[in-house]
Amino acid sequence: MLADDHKLMRSGLRVLLEQQPDLTVMGEASDGREAVALVASQRPDVLVMDIGMPSLNGIEAAAQITQSNPEAAIVMLSMHSDESYVLRALKAGAKGYLLKDSAEADLIRAVRAVAEGKSFFSPAVSKVLLDDYVRKLKRSGTEDPYDLLTPREREVLQLVAEGKSNKEVAQLLNLSVYTVETHRSNIMEKLNLHGVPELILYAVRKGIIS
Amino acid sequence: MGTPSEDDLKSQKRAEKVRRILLLAFGGLLALMIVAGVAALHSLRQLDGIEQQINERYSAHSQALTTILISVHVYHDQMERYLLSGENSEPSIGAADVQESGESVRNALKSYPVDTEPEEQALLSEIQQKFTEQENSFALLLRPSAGVNSQERQRFVGEQMMLRHAYILQVSQEVSSLNNKKLTGAKQSLAASFRMVQTRLVSTVLLSLLAGLLLSLSGGFYILRLERQGRARYQELVASRQELESLSARLVDAQEEERRSISRELHDEVGQTLGALLVDLGQLSKLVPADDNLLREKIARIKSAAETAVKSIRDLALLLRPPMLDDLGLVPALEWQAREISRRGEMEVDVHSEMVSEQLADDVMVCLYRLVQEALTNAARHSGAKHAKVSIVQNEGTIRVQIADDGIGFSPERVRGMGILGMEERVKRLGGSLTIESEPGKGTTVFAKIPVEHSKPV
Repeated sequence: MLADDHKLMRSGLRVLLEQQPDLTVMGEASDGREAVALVASQRPDVLVMDIGMPSLNGIEAAAQITQSNPEAAIVMLSMHSDESYVLRALKAGAKGYLLKDSAEADLIRAVRAVAEGKSFFSPAVSKVLLDDYVRKLKRSGTEDPYDLLTPREREVLQLVAEGKSNKEVAQLLNLSVYTVETHRSNIMEKLNLHGVPELILYAVRKGIIS
Repeated sequence: MGTPSEDDLKSQKRAEKVRRILLLAFGGLLALMIVAGVAALHSLRQLDGIEQQINERYSAHSQALTTILISVHVYHDQMERYLLSGENSEPSIGAADVQESGESVRNALKSYPVDTEPEEQALLSEIQQKFTEQENSFALLLRPSAGVNSQERQRFVGEQMMLRHAYILQVSQEVSSLNNKKLTGAKQSLAASFRMVQTRLVSTVLLSLLAGLLLSLSGGFYILRLERQGRARYQELVASRQELESLSARLVDAQEEERRSISRELHDEVGQTLGALLVDLGQLSKLVPADDNLLREKIARIKSAAETAVKSIRDLALLLRPPMLDDLGLVPALEWQAREISRRGEMEVDVHSEMVSEQLADDVMVCLYRLVQEALTNAARHSGAKHAKVSIVQNEGTIRVQIADDGIGFSPERVRGMGILGMEERVKRLGGSLTIESEPGKGTTVFAKIPVEHSKPV
């Protein structure tokens, strides 16, 4: 399903998606409210939604959708690669973040990744986030706290950032759920993060996930 | 408002005229009072002089009359003694003595003041005449050839002399009463003229009082009118200032609205069209046969041009009205701005926020955003700062923003650019306040405080 207030953009995206034999566009919404209603009634596998829309913007709409259905796969479409946007989109429950510039190249990959429950970020976004992060580190003169993580913690970080639940991580790494939780809180503390969205953002920054 | 200069000129002229009239009126009143005072003084002195004159004249006349009377008495007494002394006894008084006292009577008559009135003159000449008769009669008696004896003398004295003497006395009495009458008359006329002076004085005083009252009344009215005018003008001034303020507020609003609409237009229409164009170009490039390098190259060039256009339009739209403000709220937008400046390598900006609501009113967000933008732009452009710190804290209905840099600073009292004025205007419009602390060489800190309502901190 597509949600964008510009018909031109929607039709462009539709063409891109429908070139894929296994993908169909179920419906189109032109603002956030419409998108929320449509998703509730049609339950699409993936929602590709623009951030800047009238009446209810994409972030608010995503927040409303994921509130009733936390598993909803949403790709945010945005013109901005700034951390503020990415973080807000993540907090709203979006799994993918796609820059409009690179929509044409990355849309299919993003939709497929999100449909599989993974996250996806435009390469340009990762780059901007990383640059900002590096500059900030340099300025404050602190070491990258990533070096403080143990190899196991890094594994956990990646898996959590990819959208896996604690249980899934535990199964994959052959650990108890309790241990995974301990690792997670250690990671959060070491990296000074608050919540999964920030963790994902950090992972994107570091290029751990894309 | 019309033509203020003309109005001003007219009112200035009117004020000048009124001032002149007031000056004249006050001067006139003062002159009137002085003249009245001087005239009264003069009249009083004149009256005093007249009174003195009257008194002098009266005493001179009565003294002269007394002298006449006494000399007549003396003459008569001597004559009587002379005539009645008889032949047998040696007379104690000689005829020469009698004549001498007659002379003194004449002298006394002569020395009577000359300013006599006809009535008085007539009486005096009557006295003179009677006395001359007396003297003549006496001379007749003295003549040796007269041959009169003592009986005859006695008879003569008893009949004629006594009669004349009595007559003279009577006439003198009349003169005296005439004098008295004259004195009374003069005194009466003096009193009358004194009353006249009094009346005149009272009337001038009344006139002055009336004029003074009139003057002070009109002056009071004039002052009241001036005051009313002043108040009206002040109110006009206040109203026009309010008008100006609301005008500039509307200007700020209009500017913001304009920016927003241009930004949206650019972003939505041009940007989206170019975005769609890019998508189509991507499609197109897939359709091109792999060996058609020329076409591929052409498409790539078009694509790169379109990308450049997209980027510049986006930058422009962001500058005009950052969509973050609408999409994300104030703090993320400020953070974005800070990173944007850091990214450009101008200076490092940190943003610190506390309890800032995500549902701030649009005008508050725009105001604070522009304020921070202006302060950071100034810091980056003019102060050569390397670091800046933006702190934004909300509590109890107030948002406080502080933007501090480590640049070269300036003197806020002297330098007041359009940017600072604009900041002040925006903040004041929302009922807030703005202070700038800076000193050359000490960096700059901008403080702003804005009241906020109906927003829950998150």
